[in-house]
Amino acid sequence: MASLLFRGILIHPPLLNSSNALFSRKACAYYCRMRTITRAQVATQVNQPPQLKYPPNARNNGLEILLKDYETIIGIETHVQLSTLTKAFCSCPYNYGSPPNTSVCPVCMGLPGALPVLNSKVIEAAVRLGLALNCELSFNSKFDRKQYFYPDLPKGYQISQFDIPIARAGYIDLDLPVEFGGGQRRFGITRVHMEEDAGKLLHSGNGNYSQVDLNRAGVPLLEVVSEPDMRNGIEAAEYAAELQRLVRYLGVSNGNMQEGSLRCDVNISVRPLGQSQFGTKVEIKNLNSFSSVNRAIDYEISRQVLLLSQGQGDQIVQETRLWEEGSQKTVTMRKKEGLSDYRYFPEPDLPEVVLTEGYVNKIRGSLPELPEMKRRRYEGMGLSMQDVLFLANDVKVADFFDAAIAKGAEVKLAANWIMGDIAAHMKNEKLSIDEIKLTPHELAELIAAIKGGTISGKIGKEILFELMAKGGTVKKLIEEKDLVQITDPTEIEKIIDKVLLDNPKQLEQYRGGKTKLQGYFAGQVMKATKGKANPGLLNKILLEKLNAKSS
Amino acid sequence: MTRQAHCQTVSLKVLNLNWKSHTPPVDSSSCPLPSLHSTLRRILRNCSTAATGSSLQPPDVPRLAETARISLTPIEVEEFTPKIRQVIDWFGQLQDVELQSVEPALRADTEAYNLREDTPETFENREAMVSGVPSYEEPYIKVPKVLSKE
Repeated sequence: MASLLFRGILIHPPLLNSSNALFSRKACAYYCRMRTITRAQVATQVNQPPQLKYPPNARNNGLEILLKDYETIIGIETHVQLSTLTKAFCSCPYNYGSPPNTSVCPVCMGLPGALPVLNSKVIEAAVRLGLALNCELSFNSKFDRKQYFYPDLPKGYQISQFDIPIARAGYIDLDLPVEFGGGQRRFGITRVHMEEDAGKLLHSGNGNYSQVDLNRAGVPLLEVVSEPDMRNGIEAAEYAAELQRLVRYLGVSNGNMQEGSLRCDVNISVRPLGQSQFGTKVEIKNLNSFSSVNRAIDYEISRQVLLLSQGQGDQIVQETRLWEEGSQKTVTMRKKEGLSDYRYFPEPDLPEVVLTEGYVNKIRGSLPELPEMKRRRYEGMGLSMQDVLFLANDVKVADFFDAAIAKGAEVKLAANWIMGDIAAHMKNEKLSIDEIKLTPHELAELIAAIKGGTISGKIGKEILFELMAKGGTVKKLIEEKDLVQITDPTEIEKIIDKVLLDNPKQLEQYRGGKTKLQGYFAGQVMKATKGKANPGLLNKILLEKLNAKSS
Repeated sequence: MTRQAHCQTVSLKVLNLNWKSHTPPVDSSSCPLPSLHSTLRRILRNCSTAATGSSLQPPDVPRLAETARISLTPIEVEEFTPKIRQVIDWFGQLQDVELQSVEPALRADTEAYNLREDTPETFENREAMVSGVPSYEEPYIKVPKVLSKE
């Protein structure tokens, strides 16, 4: 689940009424400027006006008023580290966390005479991602050298794709989380290209030397560049989350921001509403989670709006800033003097990358159902957006859900079980859904057993816990533990009679007016039947008996 | 990338190849890239116009040296500028080729592409590579403190 931090709202009591008006006006300002969606597919575009609950942050009211006069333009560059077994241009394996400099060879160390040979899986991953992002593929593309000097770059150049990326001009559809107002968005994708990663540079404590680990040098990356379509931190964070979902669904990367297999750099500029000229572009790096993306953007917007509103717009310079998690603000990295000249030229050691129709069609046919399609399908099943977003977030959960439905489980009930007790168990035990012992088939059985009245809901919950922890089948557990629900009214009546007889004092109190004691009697009956009495029947007969006896 | 910038980069690389001898290959018969040389000859033979050359920008040698991290004294800059210019002008003959009816090629390859299976292999002589690193402090390569990228 996208781990967006939900912060407490700062409420200024006297201004509460006016702030509501502020929200809807602001919402209009933000969304009126959204790019018009022209492609035919957006028939499912939600028509409700986007009710953006303004992202709660430590904002004072003055800032909120300022913000509505400005427009933010955000674009994101994402580097996706591929989960191939070997590096891009040599056969060294890559395993996160290996001892430094143990997974190296002359090619990735850039030793003289070594030549790169492309890993076929890299092209496959690029095509998969390009297709999933609805891009136009370049059937002929090439690699280029991006030249610069840095200790973590052994060859003195990075093999990348400059002017002819393997995919371009695509888009991604996503749903904003319910707690931030929901709504659908489409963001453009400018390009996707293949390149290699650099090594890791570590800075020593005392500061007069640095250390290089080349394990990561040469690992394949896909760089995804978005169109500058995002307008605030929530949209940016959800874009990143959807990319993560997508690469995990496709199986091209594990998309872990913490591990560095998904890295986002944000480009942001702010301009007064109505100004056609773009504001100064600022790049933000060092974002390690989706919530950092959100918070860093919010902070940067505030910083720039404050400066602009005070006439100090010239203090905003084109630069790279780092997000400091500790102090929760962006700070200047060393300012670059002028733009870098990377002296791109075609990589002479690598041949052209040629795709055939057959190859692309084969990959297109092997794509799984993508998150967007799943969400629309689940929505069509009648599930609420909250349920849809939860179930479609993790492909394994979605598969489990689909399997349970296929075995006949009722849609809403299956969703509830998965989102409730099953999710709680997974969280407690730190397991993923394919690691728990419960199978989708058994979940379907459980739901059917409860629905059919064989067992009560409460017993169902107990069985579920056992199934998740130890496995087994519903049928067997019911048998072994003798859990079949008692639905014979005469039998229940007999037990009720006995309980009433055994508890004369409470009966007196009940007739004396303490009607709450019905619960006590019900509990006693349940105890006597070891929880097997059908609750509905129990209470009906109990009430009759209790009220009948009061003469 | 502009043809001129490309020429300049290639000519600097050619210069590097002959660094020890300090004589850039002005005479085409001593060119260290025979296949390129014969291709160029072929193109030039088909050219109707004679090579002129000087329509290209003169090289900014100090900047080139800076980007290539090669240090040059002012005397060397003065000495090498005309020589580099000659190399560029020699490549500059390509400017005169008539390209109106020619489809741009991505690359000058003739062979099909060469891919590798995604099967891990450990390089068996890691020790030799590591012992070749000038300053290695197990398990890292030690480098001077770096503040920012170029």
